[in-house]
Amino acid sequence: MVSKTVLGLFTAGVIALGFTSSAMADAKASIEARQACMKANGGMMKVMVPIIKGQKPYDKAAIDAAIAASQKACGGWADWWGADTKPDTAAGKAAKTEAKAEIWSDAAGFEAAGTAYLTAEAAVLASTDEASFKAAFPALGKSCQGCHEKFRQAD
Amino acid sequence: MLALALIAALGLLAFWLLSTPRPLTAADIPQHTPDVANGVRLYHAAGCISCHQPSPDLKDVATDVPAGGAPLHTPIGTLYPLNLTPDPETGIGSWSDLEFLNAVMRGISPEGENLIPALPYTSYAHMKPEDVLDIRAYLASLPPVKSPEREAEITALPLIRRGVGLWKWVGLDTTPWTPDPAQSESWNRGSYLVNAPGHCQECHTPRNVFMALDQSKAFMGGPHPEGKGKVPSLRGLIERGRYTDAADLASALQNGEMMGYDGLASGGMGRVQRNISMLPESDIQAIADYIASLK
Repeated sequence: MVSKTVLGLFTAGVIALGFTSSAMADAKASIEARQACMKANGGMMKVMVPIIKGQKPYDKAAIDAAIAASQKACGGWADWWGADTKPDTAAGKAAKTEAKAEIWSDAAGFEAAGTAYLTAEAAVLASTDEASFKAAFPALGKSCQGCHEKFRQAD
Repeated sequence: MLALALIAALGLLAFWLLSTPRPLTAADIPQHTPDVANGVRLYHAAGCISCHQPSPDLKDVATDVPAGGAPLHTPIGTLYPLNLTPDPETGIGSWSDLEFLNAVMRGISPEGENLIPALPYTSYAHMKPEDVLDIRAYLASLPPVKSPEREAEITALPLIRRGVGLWKWVGLDTTPWTPDPAQSESWNRGSYLVNAPGHCQECHTPRNVFMALDQSKAFMGGPHPEGKGKVPSLRGLIERGRYTDAADLASALQNGEMMGYDGLASGGMGRVQRNISMLPESDIQAIADYIASLK
């Protein structure tokens, strides 16, 4: 009788543990997806900034390819911000997230920052020559800066 | 019993004497004709607006007016930085030059109290008094804004203020900044801007057990003053491949993350970078030349 109870508890424990660790794995995967998206965006800047600075010639194909890579890496964005991915959670610590708690406490502000980014990205994508690209780029750069200032943790 | 009481009384007296502010005097004020243009420059270099932002209640005051009152959260409590506009009642309009110098360079209020070193007077103490007076001249030229002073929300504040007086013996180095004749003019300008008004070390240098800057580890980075995250080291930025050269670092300070320089917006650095971007190009290059030389 006792052993059955112990066995039951043990089984429940194992299931609970398995469930928790799988939920934790999902949360960790979300954070890693966010990080991969940001890395792609960083790669995008590495293509665009040298053109802005005049270190490399204007290259519409390279710009469009960088945006496409970013869009591919960031496709699941809306699903990556569960409460179990906050900085003080197990997954947050395991994946060393640099997301700040303000993302969740100021959800409207975070949403607005995302919209600013998407609007600017669309404008850069729509640019057709060097002049229109150079006119569209600052809003994109500022959207990175503005969002990181509010919502990204220092190292 | 009497002996014990005597020792306790002597201890209290020693604490009182050692924690008493040691201000600058009228003799320390240089003969100087204020230069408002230089004041604007030093105001940005000193990053005054980063903390003295207008309170969210002051809806019709622009965010670049140092009207003060916006909460500043620190591990010991919330502070409400002062209104720096020349309003005589709620700002600093009625302060004398000596009172301004003492607040900025010695951390002493006009009432003679020790200020919490969230105001980085530990760095400003190395400034040229002429530059501090120029900042004052610039502040005096701003339109006055009514923004009442609000007491900091810190437990046992009067005792803490006395404690700060004691701490100043180890935490406040009042040595004026001096140039290094072996280095270039630009490097020396950068050294001054970084170490005195720029107060970069306040976050980028770790503190010792007395909470004083550990100069043996200058610019090596440390825990973030707000309690979460880390402040990066500024040593070996070029050697570590963080920036290609001093010109690249200058571009980073000028443009920040807007130009893809990763890490320059978060942790409060965004505001710092915005202030630096207001400086003349030669000053930004000077800061970069100095920082790039830190090994």
